[in-house]
Amino acid sequence: MPLILNHVPPVHWAIAGAGIAAVTLGLLFFANRRLGISTSFEDVCSLLVAQPYFQRGAVRAGRRWRLPFVIGLMLGGFLSAVLSGGWAPTWDLGMFDQVIGFGPAGKLAWMFAGGLLIGFGTRLAGGCTSGHGIFGLSNLELSSLITTVSFMAGGIVTTHVVYRVIFH
Amino acid sequence: MLLHVLLGTIFGFILSRSGAADYNYIQGMFLFERFQLYGIIGTAVVLTAPGLWVLKRFGRTVTGRPLEIELKALNRGNLVGGLLFGAGWSMAGMCPGPIFVNIGEGKLYAAAALAGALVGAGVFGTIYSRVQGPCRLPQRP
Repeated sequence: MPLILNHVPPVHWAIAGAGIAAVTLGLLFFANRRLGISTSFEDVCSLLVAQPYFQRGAVRAGRRWRLPFVIGLMLGGFLSAVLSGGWAPTWDLGMFDQVIGFGPAGKLAWMFAGGLLIGFGTRLAGGCTSGHGIFGLSNLELSSLITTVSFMAGGIVTTHVVYRVIFH
Repeated sequence: MLLHVLLGTIFGFILSRSGAADYNYIQGMFLFERFQLYGIIGTAVVLTAPGLWVLKRFGRTVTGRPLEIELKALNRGNLVGGLLFGAGWSMAGMCPGPIFVNIGEGKLYAAAALAGALVGAGVFGTIYSRVQGPCRLPQRP
């Protein structure tokens, strides 16, 4: 099945997995950083909110590398679009459009609600797919195993409720 | 800093072209209809684990500085936060990395996911002292 992005076919999963492993190990070996992306939400909060929670040392020290890293993520997405047929703003959301069919305003509300759960949940769990799922599992951390099983369970249940119970 | 932008760009490009930042592939994973994401995460872990083991034995970065790996806290937040995050991952069809990637790709709704995530993290930090006890989270300011 082609990607939503310019309808190009995805690369093989083994190549993508190997690339992610290379970046994860490169980040540690070259920069002494543990891969983790959801902490960047706190980094952005630390720029906007004076709460002591966001001004603690770990956040202020980490944002110096994590903010450039997530700017890189955006650049990577931009380059990927440019090199696969061109960059253009889009509302295309694949099966969401076919099955649920909300317009732009509905999509924004849906995405904002999903984002709230992502922001709150990853901070409560102490990480996301990258920090817990990839680095933590590879580092054999129990907290990462529990978190990964939990977020997979949460996603499996939610998608089944949305696409097999509510909209179908 | 340029190194971090570069590594982020490579990471973002891979997420973009693999399906990891694609709404359909995320739902296909959670519906057990598509193997792609399981293959990606599985391969990444299977290759990162021995690499980490070697790097930790070596114990140093390329410049000779001792390796620093801060471990994640183990507490009830892993379970509760994981469940909430999973629900959000399903709804948005993106986890935190792909939120940024999708913004770069030009997917307009991804900006709302980022706004939600920032508010969600902001709320968490603001009510931390109240969540901390019941979830046995570490002491923070």
